[in-house]
Amino acid sequence: MPDRQPDPVEEGRFPGYDVLRKRSSMSWNDRTREVVDRRLAVERGPRTLSADAFRCLEAVCAQIVPQNQGPSFAPLAAYVDEGLTLGLGPGYRNAELPEAPEAWAKALAALDATAQREHDAVFAALDDAQQKSLLQRMQKGELSGPEWTDVPPKLFFSQHVLTDIVAAWAAHPSAWSRIGFGGPASPRGYVRMGFGMRDSWEAAEAHPGQEAKAARENRRVR
Amino acid sequence: MCADQTILANREGLRSGNLSPMQQVRAAGGRAPDPHVTGGWLSMQEYADGEEVDFAIVGTGAGGGTLAAELAEAGFSVVAFDAGPYFRPLEDFASDETAQSQLFWTDKRIVDGDNPLKMGSNNSGKAVGGSTVHYAMVALRQRPESFASRTKQGFGADWPISWQEMWRYYTKAEDALKISGPIRYPWGPKRPRYPYRPHDLNAAALMLAKGAEALGIDWTETPLATVSAPRGKSPPCVYRGFCRVGCSTNAKQSALVTFIPRAIRAGAEVRDLAMVGRIEVNKDGRATGLHYHRAGQWRFQRARNVIVAGYAIESPRLLLNSATDRHPDGLANSSGLVGKYLMTQSNQAVFGVMDDEVRWNKGPPSLAITEHWNYDDRKDFFGGYIHMSQGPLPVEWSSVLTGSKGLWGDALLGELDKYNHQVGLKMVGEMMPQERNQVTLADEVDQYGLRVARITYSWCDNDKAMIKHALDFMQQQAEAAGVKEIFRQKNDTNHLAGTIRMGADRRTSVVNADCRSWDIPNLFVCDGSVFPTTGGVNPSLTIQALALRTADRIKELSRRGEL
Amino acid sequence: MSFQPLPARPERTLRLLDSLFRRNKPAADPARIALDRLGRSFERARATAIVAARPGLPDALRHQPLVSPRKGVDAARALNRASGLLAFSVLTDSALEHYRGAFRNKAMFTPLATSALTVAASLHGTTDQRESAHLFRDVTYALAAVTGLVGTAFHVFNVGSRVGGFRWVNFFYRAPVGAPMAILISGLFGVASERLRREGPGGRPTVFGLGAGRTLATITAGSMAGTVGEAWLLHFRGNFQNPAMYIPVTIPPASGALLMDAAIRGGEKRRTAARASLWATVATGIAGTFFHAYGVQRMMGGWRNWKQNLLDGPPVPTPPAFTGVALAGLAALDLLEGDDA
Repeated sequence: MPDRQPDPVEEGRFPGYDVLRKRSSMSWNDRTREVVDRRLAVERGPRTLSADAFRCLEAVCAQIVPQNQGPSFAPLAAYVDEGLTLGLGPGYRNAELPEAPEAWAKALAALDATAQREHDAVFAALDDAQQKSLLQRMQKGELSGPEWTDVPPKLFFSQHVLTDIVAAWAAHPSAWSRIGFGGPASPRGYVRMGFGMRDSWEAAEAHPGQEAKAARENRRVR
Repeated sequence: MCADQTILANREGLRSGNLSPMQQVRAAGGRAPDPHVTGGWLSMQEYADGEEVDFAIVGTGAGGGTLAAELAEAGFSVVAFDAGPYFRPLEDFASDETAQSQLFWTDKRIVDGDNPLKMGSNNSGKAVGGSTVHYAMVALRQRPESFASRTKQGFGADWPISWQEMWRYYTKAEDALKISGPIRYPWGPKRPRYPYRPHDLNAAALMLAKGAEALGIDWTETPLATVSAPRGKSPPCVYRGFCRVGCSTNAKQSALVTFIPRAIRAGAEVRDLAMVGRIEVNKDGRATGLHYHRAGQWRFQRARNVIVAGYAIESPRLLLNSATDRHPDGLANSSGLVGKYLMTQSNQAVFGVMDDEVRWNKGPPSLAITEHWNYDDRKDFFGGYIHMSQGPLPVEWSSVLTGSKGLWGDALLGELDKYNHQVGLKMVGEMMPQERNQVTLADEVDQYGLRVARITYSWCDNDKAMIKHALDFMQQQAEAAGVKEIFRQKNDTNHLAGTIRMGADRRTSVVNADCRSWDIPNLFVCDGSVFPTTGGVNPSLTIQALALRTADRIKELSRRGEL
Repeated sequence: MSFQPLPARPERTLRLLDSLFRRNKPAADPARIALDRLGRSFERARATAIVAARPGLPDALRHQPLVSPRKGVDAARALNRASGLLAFSVLTDSALEHYRGAFRNKAMFTPLATSALTVAASLHGTTDQRESAHLFRDVTYALAAVTGLVGTAFHVFNVGSRVGGFRWVNFFYRAPVGAPMAILISGLFGVASERLRREGPGGRPTVFGLGAGRTLATITAGSMAGTVGEAWLLHFRGNFQNPAMYIPVTIPPASGALLMDAAIRGGEKRRTAARASLWATVATGIAGTFFHAYGVQRMMGGWRNWKQNLLDGPPVPTPPAFTGVALAGLAALDLLEGDDA
């Protein structure tokens, strides 16, 4: 069984929808249950990154994908670190970047170094606006200094910060519930195909004034 | 696809238990998995390494899988090697994008050039069945003029095969895969009716149709290699929409569930987790077999003929890695063109939202298509393109948003929340063959100790002109269909071709029309890497048609004693 | 979904309906009795089944005569059976298909209501020996026929209104154009059955003032053609992937043709041939249900995945439509007996 109990998001477009309620339905086969269960049971602490780097990464993740602390919280930093632990890339590497574990370690250290220089504190200790500003400058390639020579900030931001963190989030059931994605679908797929057509095992969208109806339908999704 | 996904997938591969197909050889002991039956096996003939088999085939995808079946059925002894695992789709495939990146070729590769290619997810498979295990099943014919681009259209190079002949083999390939397609295909010369009826259209496809009708151009249901009615043990498609990360129902007519079982039943041996590192050539200039890595050791399989079918990166890499003193530039490379003329296809898109709920993840990703710009020649650039409706799953979709718009934070989440209203049109466009776009060997080595591929790619002006044309047109079409908040994905590419081009002249090509090396008469290359031009359609069906033709040619050569 | 097509207490319901709609008709002369052996055995079996299944039935039903005194009434009741079977097929099929369509248009409930009423009327008619039309049944059947016509218009509109209009893919996957015809046919059979109960000129049963046998044969053959057309379209969509899928597009049309042949040219041999082929069509309908059930099993997840496969797989309720039409054809054949004179 998954670590956490269904935790329907009561706000948002799909009130009351929790994709994990479908876990025992015909939409999930054994293999799917296995991989998602394992994902939800990810080890929370760092394994490859140093404790400092991991703290920095957690702060970066909180900026890239803002989340509420709560049962539906997806530990994105843990997923990134776990990926580095297993040490394989996406099937290609930009010639200007080192291997992913090295690139992440250097980039997080560089972020902390820049934060120290400019604000006299590590990245995780900066306030929200300072963190945002640093990341924005990183995305635009406006950060410079010796710490960035091995990891071009702009390239690293697009190739790793955005991709790795966001992909980890989009792979998490909490994300599926939030965006109203049907989630796993095998052996049961879908029947109703046209515009505005929803199968009874899909998330119901709350149209203005219809929130309660959507919530009712979402609680019946199996 | 990003690093994280891949890593998580490999975690799946490294999971405890000794049943993981990523780690443990499955096709052995006189049997191979029956992909159609849970826990089922096919009895499989096996050959000793020392036994000189008629054909050793490297790769089991669109090219190699097809040839393995055809040649085994013709009575040849065949051993087909694949570096990837032998999956059982019914048991091994999760409904999960991340876990299913286990299907992609994610070994080390280096990319550079002005427009470095993204490798892995949408152009490289590592599994028995190759990329057909995760492809989008789009099964199209190149337009006739594409086989004579130089003489008919003024660019690239001519194929050494006539379009009429290719179209005969397209018919065979379509029948072998029971393609589900429209009753009447609106473009090109008359073709036989598709073996199976078209699939229903999802809302994302209806948007394409709506836009096409508004602009007065033709559209149709996409011919797809997933059945719309039962076929043997394949149930019809249930529209689960995870096609591009593997079909867990076997509705998809991948090589894994079609040609591979045919090959094994006809006496071929398939070796999974068998990475071929080097082809051995004797002093007479003939291939004698190949070195492969399996179950922790390097072995040598003797063979009368070798067929390389590893696709546009691994095929040239193998030829280059097989260099000897007598062939210092790699095998079959007297033309110097091995690795050259790499082509990808432009895969740009426009995306936007509709007022109605769309739920584009339901059904195969591209149910509707227009080939209008492959057949309309009023363009100011060479080549053509198709465009199709889209249905990316959340991980892929989020990578589009981050990659194209650079979104993060609340802006990103706000956009992702529109997932169920999202639609898109995506092109598959012909890129020009350029000699500078190429596969070479880097100094780094992979887990087998083999030098990895360096993939260099830059777009040319014609490529850019086509992309601009397509983006403008697709945006117009989307607007005509009522799509709002449109944005452009400008950087995506997908399928590969070239690097071992075929031709009629040994000075300007590596293999001849029979996919046979000019230099080494018992060495064949049969996959997308032989394409002289890539055409404006997805390449898999053309590879399969070409493999069917090559099989026929090999049988003919064998009859004449010319092998 | 669990539908309850039969009222829980049929006898009470029928009596109630009778009291509401009874119309007094003068008793007719004793009729010629020309009995068909197959019809008789069918009747006997049915009666036995009723007695066995419902020991609590009133004596009137338990001890009803096994042989009707009049050919017209016999044929009418056979038509009631045909109509009822068709209506039952429509009831279950439209419930499934319109659920699939999420009842987006409230009109999609209509065929459920009318077909349910038609089933009730047909049950009532089947047990009714009287030589008179019945207002409730008559109205119900007329309503069914109108539903079929309007439904066909709706379905045609549904196909044409989708982008691409009347193209193959829309005929394959939009509202099946031929489906509402089943309730139209059901209604027509029913209306005809009510006419049959009355004596025509010269003691011959008539429908719409014409010779009952030929009229009914023509309606049946037309209905058969429509039902075959629908089966062909959907089996073509399924690529005739199983050879059995050819059965409903070969045997039923042959039986329709043989029935027309028997109706036009007459003769015992032709009637025998038609009768045999119609029984084959009856069997086709029954076998089809099982084939479709097997087809559902062949879908991904099989019956375990019924929520999807009942909707996406071959429709289990539709094949009995053939049985219904063929039963009407058999009734027509009974009426054709002696038409040679």
